[in-house]
Amino acid sequence: MKPFLSLVKRDLTLGLRKKSQIYQPLVFQLLVVTMFPLGLGSGAKTLALIAPAVIWILALLASLLTLDQIFKNDYDDGSVESYVLTSYPLSMAVMAKVLAHWLLTGLPLVLFAPVLGVLLHLPSSSYGVLMLSLLIGTPIFSFIGSIGSALTMSLKHGGLLLTVLVMPLLAPVLIFGAGAVVESALGNSASQHLLLLSGMLVLSFTLVPFASAAAIKINLE
Amino acid sequence: MPIIKATDVSCQRGQFTLFEPVSFTLAEGQSLLISGANGIGKTTLLESIAGLRSIQLGNIEYKSIDLLKSKDQWFDDSFFIGHKTGNKKELNCLENLRSFLQIQGIDVSEKQAEDALDKVGLAGYEYQFAGSLSAGQKKRLALARLTLIKHTVWILDEPFVNLDVAGCDWLLKLLNQHIDNKGILIITAHDNPSIRKKITHELVLEMQR
Repeated sequence: MKPFLSLVKRDLTLGLRKKSQIYQPLVFQLLVVTMFPLGLGSGAKTLALIAPAVIWILALLASLLTLDQIFKNDYDDGSVESYVLTSYPLSMAVMAKVLAHWLLTGLPLVLFAPVLGVLLHLPSSSYGVLMLSLLIGTPIFSFIGSIGSALTMSLKHGGLLLTVLVMPLLAPVLIFGAGAVVESALGNSASQHLLLLSGMLVLSFTLVPFASAAAIKINLE
Repeated sequence: MPIIKATDVSCQRGQFTLFEPVSFTLAEGQSLLISGANGIGKTTLLESIAGLRSIQLGNIEYKSIDLLKSKDQWFDDSFFIGHKTGNKKELNCLENLRSFLQIQGIDVSEKQAEDALDKVGLAGYEYQFAGSLSAGQKKRLALARLTLIKHTVWILDEPFVNLDVAGCDWLLKLLNQHIDNKGILIITAHDNPSIRKKITHELVLEMQR
């Protein structure tokens, strides 16, 4: 447990010293959201209709901004060796990296979502489901993204490749995440969508660390 | 009794074999110097031995068990410092030294870390960010780890690069001490007459014909 916590602590310290990783995605979301009423030129009704999809797509795009950083910096400065060359399982180190990444980038997205909801006239009854769906969905972004980041860590400009790699895997998350919010906005129960999302989270929690660990080893060859 | 036994080991880049296969055995208190022309594959060989890459040709045994099967034991007993120092530029020296070893499960108190920095001549730099250190100081910060670990096998890639005269002397003393304590040393270095005195084995990598 100790190496795991040390790695989380180190990454959180790094993240809090280099705050751009935290506020960049939020500023990006805010800027794009304010463009929607201007571009659509229509009233609150249309905005409320598209709000669930817009907020979820923005959450996805905002996470993509930081996904490549999960392993790239560690590869570039060589500190990846500190958790590869030990008898502690590499998959646990992946877990620690993903946890730290989610705390620094995913959690702020969840907490910021109501602000976007207000700007898009999302019915106030849906805020709870919106935040809950993001709370389950954003860790999946970090998990799946870690595979992409591990695969592209040795490339100079791997951002686009990473996006192409992980986007198809993240599409189901978007479908059920936005679906949950749509259902609740219509006054229906969102539990089916949320349960499917939770299933995906469990699946990525159990499988992704091994995939990312294998990807790191391939990249060091 | 040999602890490390390498048989016909070589490395590949794509389809090409980098150098003529090499064999060596190392026992307690012995040391191996790997030399050869630039680009011959010294670093690649060292990284393969350390376990960062897989061994593509030949095999290495550690305590009579193939490295592939005794990986955990090997990682517990061997310590590698490569070209990339592994320092985080946003962390200060103390944090760098402690976090790197703690991630490997080695507990280092603040006092121990301060003493280690003192030994490598970084006293007074404890709270300086690693990003603002000179190349030689960054190297010293990485080498400070050696004073805090108990691993038997040290694998060092060009540890003398960027160090000043005093730094080289200090490192040489540390390496000698390690060998005298029955440690094993695997090292790459360009011509450095003073390191040769303690070296028991030498490998010169040659182009594959």
